[in-house]
Amino acid sequence: MLDKRLLLVSGKGGVGKSAVAAGLSLLAQRTGLRVLAMEMASPGGLSAHFGTGPLAFEPREVRPGLHAMQMVRSDALLEYLALQVGIRGMTRLGPLARAFDALATAAPGIREIITIGKALWEVREDRWDVVIADAPPTGQIGSYLRAPLTISELVPTGRIRSQTDYMSATLADPEMTQLILLYLAEELPVTETEETMRWLSKEHLVTPPTLVANRVLEELSDPDTPPGPVGEAAQLHRSLWAEQQEWLDRLRPDHVLPYYHGMFTPGEVAAHLADQLEAIA
Amino acid sequence: MTRTLLITGAGGVGKTTVAAAIAVRAARHGMRTLVVTVDPARRLASALGVQDLGNEPQPHAEEDNLWAAMLDAGASWRAVAMRHAEPEVASRLADNEFFRAASEHFPASQSYAAADQAATFVQAQAWDLVVVDTPPAGGGIDFFTAPAQMADLVGGRLLRWITGGPLPGRRAFFNLAARPVLRMADAILGSDLLERVAEFLLDLRTTYDGVSQRGREIERVLRSSAIFVVTTSDPAPVREAIRFYRELPGLATSPAAVIFNRILPEHWAEATAPSGTSPALEQNLARWSAETVRQRDTREEFSSRYGAHVATIPWSTSPPTDLDGLAALLDEARELPWQEVGIS
Repeated sequence: MLDKRLLLVSGKGGVGKSAVAAGLSLLAQRTGLRVLAMEMASPGGLSAHFGTGPLAFEPREVRPGLHAMQMVRSDALLEYLALQVGIRGMTRLGPLARAFDALATAAPGIREIITIGKALWEVREDRWDVVIADAPPTGQIGSYLRAPLTISELVPTGRIRSQTDYMSATLADPEMTQLILLYLAEELPVTETEETMRWLSKEHLVTPPTLVANRVLEELSDPDTPPGPVGEAAQLHRSLWAEQQEWLDRLRPDHVLPYYHGMFTPGEVAAHLADQLEAIA
Repeated sequence: MTRTLLITGAGGVGKTTVAAAIAVRAARHGMRTLVVTVDPARRLASALGVQDLGNEPQPHAEEDNLWAAMLDAGASWRAVAMRHAEPEVASRLADNEFFRAASEHFPASQSYAAADQAATFVQAQAWDLVVVDTPPAGGGIDFFTAPAQMADLVGGRLLRWITGGPLPGRRAFFNLAARPVLRMADAILGSDLLERVAEFLLDLRTTYDGVSQRGREIERVLRSSAIFVVTTSDPAPVREAIRFYRELPGLATSPAAVIFNRILPEHWAEATAPSGTSPALEQNLARWSAETVRQRDTREEFSSRYGAHVATIPWSTSPPTDLDGLAALLDEARELPWQEVGIS
């Protein structure tokens, strides 16, 4: 996966997107790549795992070779206006920025194009070998992936319009972009992932996603159930394992990541995931 | 007098199941109870008898006193705005591509529609208890902020942003549209885009009185509701749960409880395997024991830092598939503030 230029980690809320995006970023950094890790939709998700405190729009080096940033739409808009349109020195409350703000709320696709556009613009820069995004959840990822197309339908002319083709092409290019759908072996994450897969295969906006099941339990090799907590824990483990297997049979993952018991800090989790992901990525 | 209980929290923590279980308990306690759910898992939906239903409350086939309704996930404030629009405006809005698109994409749209529907059920005064499983958008906070956001959008704040001044009339706007800055915006976005957006906002504004009055009614219902926040012990949903203690004041009452779901037996925390236990089982116990400790620490930190009333529900290994299973889910629950539900 790390030979791609843009990795988008999505999944239903609560499945561990930030942890996995952080783990991938740490792994990529370890292998010597120049990495940009981006909090696209949930501020604080990545920074908790890097242990850095809140991130800003301006990328900050959090490990040697690993920069991290938080998507801030108003900053992205000003940057877009400065770099792509050539309007400089605009303040936050300038009339044009205000007009864009209004549009971003009222017109679909604008909000998303600014966000996904920022990620794609960073991909185009040669500063990074790979951009790894803690992407919006599956419920919203469609409107982000589709934003270039949505805009090109709504806006017949203009400069934004002229860039949407490049954006769509980068997203669809299997050499450039890989979408990772993370899920848990439970009913709702599985059904939501299936829905997303159906939508994706209909829309052809990106190549088929890589499916990664998170928090998968190992099979318990000993079939005994002695009395007391040993047996109680064994029973709980076996029934959770069996339930998980049922969902994994229904939606087969390309890769699985283990359940980490008793692990408290996000930093610990990300470091373990980086080790685990080495076999995958 | 109808009591309202809002069950909030992040997605994936078992919120819908907890809401259903509380409703079944209340119904069996003799209260006429309506449970309003969003996007239930298939098995839960069939237990509640809502799998094929729209958003009209239906009495349960097997349980007296229990009604269930499913919030329409496709509903949006589009319908709400249309309800408050003059016929001529409504038909113009229906044709406006931005209105159609915005009503699908406005972030608080589903939350607004959900809050509106829930308030309607409460105002009907047909039940003793209405239990609402809130949509997970924005960690659930959107449900509480949606009425104000909606009034903001309709009220023309955006329009004032575009023009940078007081809200213009229709004719005044078109004069403003000739201003250089808007011409520049048009150059970037394409011709007359802003104008079309503004036109839709001007139309939408005519619904303001109706929408904002409705918003205040909804807010009144939310303010007089009891709130249970559901979470697991995982960091992400706990972060969302914390928001209800930090961000709710002013929008609603402080949560009556934070319910930690999927709790492991306390005595596992100190448990060790007796000698002679196989390495596999010993390691398994050690892992789950560590998890038990982590869960306990998480609850203690939450309670001491936010002064929250903490309740727990044990980890049930097979999701309930019928009403008895739902009711049994709470057999081993601890510290649930039943008085908030009206059960002493």
